Amino acid sequence: MQKYISQHNLDTLLDTLIKRGIRVVAPRMNAGIPLYEPLGSSGEVVSDTLPRRSAKEAFFPVCEDIMSYKKEGQKVTITDIDPGRFPETVLFGVRPCDAAAIPVLDAVFSWDYKDEFFLERRKKTTIIGLACTAADDACFCTAVGLSPSASKGSDLFLTALEGGGYACDTCSEKGEALIANNQALFDGPSTSNPIPFAEPQTDTFDLTKVKAWLNDHFEDPLWDGIATRCVGCGACAFVCPACHCFDIVDEGTEKAGKRRKNWDACGFWKFTHHASGHNPRDLQPKRYRNRIMHKFKYYDDKFGQTLCTGCGRCVRICPVGIDIAAIVEEINKK
Amino acid sequence: MTSLIDTTIYSAITEAIRVEAARILSEGEVTAVVGYAAARRKGSAQPIVINTAADAGQLIFTPSCVNNLAVYLTKAKKEISKTGKIGIVVKGCDLKALVGLMGESQLKREDMYLIGVPCIGVLASTVQPATGLTAETIAPKCTECDAHLPQGCDFVPAQTPVVTKLEHKYAAEIARLEALTPAERWAYWKEQFTKCIKCYACRQVCPFCFCEQCLCDRNKPQMVDTTPRPAGNAAWHIVRAMHLAGRCAGCAECERVCPMDIPLNLLNRKMAMELKELYDYEAGFDVLDKGPLTMFTDKDDQSFIK
Amino acid sequence: MHPEKQKHTFEPKIIAFVCTWCTYAGADLAGTSRMQYPSNVRVLKFPCTGRIDPVFILKAFQQGADGVLVSGCHPGDCHYIAGNFHARRRFAVFRKLLEFVGVDLNRLQFSWVSAAEGGKWVEVVTDLTEKVRSMGPMTEFKELALEEQWSGTIDTPELQEAYNAI
Repeated sequence: MQKYISQHNLDTLLDTLIKRGIRVVAPRMNAGIPLYEPLGSSGEVVSDTLPRRSAKEAFFPVCEDIMSYKKEGQKVTITDIDPGRFPETVLFGVRPCDAAAIPVLDAVFSWDYKDEFFLERRKKTTIIGLACTAADDACFCTAVGLSPSASKGSDLFLTALEGGGYACDTCSEKGEALIANNQALFDGPSTSNPIPFAEPQTDTFDLTKVKAWLNDHFEDPLWDGIATRCVGCGACAFVCPACHCFDIVDEGTEKAGKRRKNWDACGFWKFTHHASGHNPRDLQPKRYRNRIMHKFKYYDDKFGQTLCTGCGRCVRICPVGIDIAAIVEEINKK
Repeated sequence: MTSLIDTTIYSAITEAIRVEAARILSEGEVTAVVGYAAARRKGSAQPIVINTAADAGQLIFTPSCVNNLAVYLTKAKKEISKTGKIGIVVKGCDLKALVGLMGESQLKREDMYLIGVPCIGVLASTVQPATGLTAETIAPKCTECDAHLPQGCDFVPAQTPVVTKLEHKYAAEIARLEALTPAERWAYWKEQFTKCIKCYACRQVCPFCFCEQCLCDRNKPQMVDTTPRPAGNAAWHIVRAMHLAGRCAGCAECERVCPMDIPLNLLNRKMAMELKELYDYEAGFDVLDKGPLTMFTDKDDQSFIK
Repeated sequence: MHPEKQKHTFEPKIIAFVCTWCTYAGADLAGTSRMQYPSNVRVLKFPCTGRIDPVFILKAFQQGADGVLVSGCHPGDCHYIAGNFHARRRFAVFRKLLEFVGVDLNRLQFSWVSAAEGGKWVEVVTDLTEKVRSMGPMTEFKELALEEQWSGTIDTPELQEAYNAI
């Protein structure tokens, strides 16, 4: 059932959660840019801009320890990280494009191997989504079947109302529990109209048609045409809410150190570099092709979903202006 | 809101670039031209490589033509065939990078056909591509530019850039940081470096980062932690700035492309200021046999050495 | 008889990157001449100051050095003719970079110590050690090494242990 929560009560909710020792992660400013980060208080929330990095960070950290080792003489001690120590978290103010990516990540992290790091963080996190009221010309959520008011992935979904406050939809048991624990802050449904949703300008893609084309065009001049300019950085993958490749490295000395898991990107030359020296994706267009193929074909083949939620981050930050929406639009027209 | 900077000459420059690119391609003087073309988003531009005169009509020059295309001619970019002579559209800052690469024996002048652009300035990375050019929206590097008209090119459109005098953004920021205590500067950079996610966009767009194997990608020996944690990030950015000292041409691509808005060019500018003061070196249009850190004199300052 | 050793609460770790031809020989001379100098210094021998990459200095600080000394042949004395001239320029620039990112340059010393200057080696090492001792431990890089991106943070005893182990 839909509820109403005033701005004041929402702030109280966040502050109460923080006081209870729950980590509240929401968009806030850090050194000049908006990022999803733990809040000190509800006053820090910035809700008018899309954070520079996606919300995937809350489950799939930029870098996390997976074990530590110590060597004394001939004795090696290995200490595993205990996922039980991950903090209870409420992820607040998540954009529909970010929230929608989380079920997409669930599929891959609980596939043949259950990634306990991801899943434990996921289990301990309640996601409060927020309908989007501003889009720029890089946004294209509507083109990939989502919308600025899509609640996919959220446990609670807030819609800002004219005259203040939010309509609150419950989308899962976790969401219900959060409301049940803070009942006094929520009221019955409001009759106010929502503040108009954002309106991304891109035409809707026929993703089945796009996939059908990709099925037959592993080799195609299109790849050279769009990706010769790619410089091979990992920016697009790192800001993407759905990209989930990681690398594992050991850092430290001979005596003590850590094994760490950190983000990786298929745009890097090193990503497919074999120990033999051979690199099957030797040139940048082949690496970029993998990005498109993975998002719109391989992932769909495996999990029946598209690995893109149209947040437009990669479009905004690509150093050389590669525009995934323009590329899929072009494929869509073929 | 300050008034628009007049960039009306850019449309005539666009026309001149198209005519020249079509000519050199059709006459077979070059095999390809690297330039800018319009992209989907309103007002945006992206690099393009064209091989036929028929495609020359795609070339443009606008305040969104921010890239330093010199990176496409380095050995790091294997995608563009380096057979025959290649035409390239360059702003003054980009040309300085090519000059630096020639000095480091990475490129030969006779392999390039340089189409210089009289440039008034381009947009900062923090604004939408369709924004008008003003004192606020101009890229910080353009406020300190001394190379509006590239020198020594094969072709430069006849337009003269009329330049507005603007406050030097980097000089002001560097002065502010220098006035802080070491602990305060450390705190400032820690905050900035912590944002880094090691996407290496700064490295990949840099014309001077052409190493086949970056020191910072190696794990035997691992001189720099590869993980995007504050320690590894700080080490990476210090090493990057050091490896560019005396080589950086000041195109500020590293800073422009940073998805986390880390002011990387401050480090490069600071190094450039020190090199100017210590060894009277500045990146320019003359190809030098040796950079300031690959040569020496017996009179070099050693007041810091006991 | 050795003079009575003074007890200090803080013994700084000093890493010395030295060239094998001059400063290493100078330090050797100090030793064979039975001169006393603080044992805080750990000497790493290189063929030439020209081989000492600025990244080594950075790494030393990251691995827990409180002070770093780089020392080689006097100008004109380089075994490889010009290694120290190149190093001089490189370090002149690198120290400015470190200063700009907030490293206190009092922790970083450069010197020329020839094979005959055992006394100078003692003086340089003693001065740096005492200077760094008075400044206290270099905490910046050690603290940085412990910091995580917020998303990867878990406050575990291992983390604390890792810190103490540095």
